[in-house]
Amino acid sequence: MSGHPTQGTPLLRIQDLCVSYPTPDGLKEVVRGVDLSVSRGERVALVGESGSGKSVTARSVLRLDSEARTSGRVLIDGQDVLEMNSKEVRRVRGARAGLVFQDPLASLNPVKTVGWQITQPLRIRGMGRREARRRAVDLLGRLGVADPARRFDDYPHQFSGGMRQRVVIAIAVIAEPQVLIADEPTTALDVQVQAQVLELLGELAQEKDMAVLLITHDLGIVAGFAQRVAVMRDGKLVEEGDVDRVYASPRHPYTRALLDAVPRIGDQPGRRLGTAAATADPVSVSPEGEEL
Amino acid sequence: MSTTTPVPTRSAGLRNLLTRKGGNKQGHTTFVDRAALGVAGLMVLLALVGPYLAPMDPYAVDLAKSLTPPGSEHWMGTDANGRDILSRVLAGGRTTILATVAVIAVATVIGTLIGTAAALGGRIVDEILMRICDVGLSLPAIVVALGLAAAMGPSLQSAVIALAATWWPGYARLVRTLVRETRDAEFVESARVLGVSRTRLVLRHVLPNSLSALYVQTTLDVSAVMLVISGLSFVGVGAQVPASEWGAMIAASRDTAITAWWTVLFPGLAIALTAIAFNLVGDWLRVRTDPTLRTGGR
Repeated sequence: MSGHPTQGTPLLRIQDLCVSYPTPDGLKEVVRGVDLSVSRGERVALVGESGSGKSVTARSVLRLDSEARTSGRVLIDGQDVLEMNSKEVRRVRGARAGLVFQDPLASLNPVKTVGWQITQPLRIRGMGRREARRRAVDLLGRLGVADPARRFDDYPHQFSGGMRQRVVIAIAVIAEPQVLIADEPTTALDVQVQAQVLELLGELAQEKDMAVLLITHDLGIVAGFAQRVAVMRDGKLVEEGDVDRVYASPRHPYTRALLDAVPRIGDQPGRRLGTAAATADPVSVSPEGEEL
Repeated sequence: MSTTTPVPTRSAGLRNLLTRKGGNKQGHTTFVDRAALGVAGLMVLLALVGPYLAPMDPYAVDLAKSLTPPGSEHWMGTDANGRDILSRVLAGGRTTILATVAVIAVATVIGTLIGTAAALGGRIVDEILMRICDVGLSLPAIVVALGLAAAMGPSLQSAVIALAATWWPGYARLVRTLVRETRDAEFVESARVLGVSRTRLVLRHVLPNSLSALYVQTTLDVSAVMLVISGLSFVGVGAQVPASEWGAMIAASRDTAITAWWTVLFPGLAIALTAIAFNLVGDWLRVRTDPTLRTGGR
C-alpha cells in the first residue's frame, strides 16, 4: 500500500499551528509552528515519541481542548476550524472530520449498546432509526464483525479488544467524514490485530477517498500504511517526506535515531538498538523543549 | 445478592419483562428479586387501593372491644380504642407510602438537578450550590419540620415538605461526585468528537453512567424516610391523630405494646417488609442499570 497518491488540493491543511497550555508557571508551548497537509485519498503518518505534541496537533484539528491557546490555521476543505464558533465546530466534528481514539474500551459508552453508539452520529443529524441501523449493520459487516445484525444489540464489554476497535472505527466513519484522524488506533491492541485493524482502516479510507492522518509512535506500522510521513519532535516537524524516501535515507538525525530504535528481522544478532534520546542532536533542543 | 438460584420458567411473560431483551445470561433476576419486586409492587398497589380493601372502618372506635387479640373477627386484633388494626394497616399504607415516595421523588429530582449543575457548571456555580447544600445538610429534618409546622400548621404535608427540603442535599452531593467522575471519561469526549450537543452529552452519556449508585441510594432510603416520617408523626408534626399512618400507629400504641403485642407488631411488620422489599429492589435496579453486571463479564 505504498503507491503514490493522486495529488489534489489538500483536504486538511495545518498552517503554522501553535498550541500552548496555561500552567502554573505561565503558558507552555506544546506545538510550535507545524505545517502539514493531507490530500483527498492520501494517508499521512505523524510520528514522534510521547510528549512530542502529535496528539495535541490532532486534537486541535477538532478543537477538543477548550483551555488550549491556538494560533495559525487549520483548514478543512478550505474552512478554518480555529475561526469557527462552537456550533460550526460541532457540525465539523463527526461529519467532516472523524477521530479514532487510542483505547477502544474507554472510548465506548458502557451502558449503551454498540449499535446505539454507531448510529448516534447519524441519528443526531436526523436520520431515521431503521435507515441508520441498516447502515450500521452494513458497516460492521464490512469491518469484519461476524453476525453484525445480532452483535448490534450487544454492549461494548461483550466485544473483544480488536472488535471494539472496529466499533470505534465504525463510529468514526459512519457519517462519512472526509478527514479521518486516527490517534494511536492500534496501540491498545496486540500485534496481530493491529495489522488487521490498520488494513481495514486503509481499505475504508481508500473506498471513501478520505484523507487520513495517522498519529503513532510506532514506526513499524507506518511503512505499511502511510504514503507520507512527518516526524515530530518537541512541537516541531523535523522531517517530512515520502515514506520510502524517509526510511531509506532519513535526513534529520532524530529521524535516523528513531529508525535505529526499531528492531528489524534482518538485524545482526546482538545489534544494539539505538535510543532516540541518546542519539538525537543534543545541541539544538534542551530536554524541556526550549531552543538553546 | 447471595441467592442466584436459577429461575423456573413458569411465567414467560413476566420473565421477559424482567429480563428485558432476553439477554439475562446469568439469571440475574432471581427468585429473591422477584419476591422483592412483588412485595414492593404490592405495597404500591396498597397505596392506591388499600383504603378500599379495609374490611372495617379504620376510624370506628369501639371501646368495648379495646385491645382484642387477633382472632376470626379482627385478624390483627384491635388497638386501645377498639379500632380494627388490619383496616388501619391497609388504610395507613397509602399515607405512609405516598408520603415516602413523595419525599424521595422530590429530593431525587432536586438533588439530581443541583448535583449535575454543580458538577458541570464551573467552579463558581459549584461553590455556591455546595454551600447551599451544606446549609441543607446542617439542618435536622425534625427542626425544619417543627418550624414548618409552626408556620403552616402541623400536617403530614408540612412533614413531607420539611423532609424533602432536608433530604435533597445528600443526593446533590452524591450526584455531583458521580457526575464529576463520569464527565471526564474518554467516552464522553469521544461522543463530543462526533458532534453530540452538550444537552445530549449530559442526558445520554454522563447521567446514565452516573446514576446507578443514586438509584440504589434512593431505594435504600425508602426505609429511612419512612421511619423519619413515622418519627415526625410521633412528635406530633406529621400525620395527625386519628389518621392511620404506620409510624403513628406504633407511636400511639407504645403504652400497650407490652401487654398487647399485636398493636405494634402488624404496623411494624408492614414497615419492615416494605423497607426490605425496596432495599432488594434497589439492588436489583443496580444490576439492571449496569450492563456489565447484567450480562456478565467477558
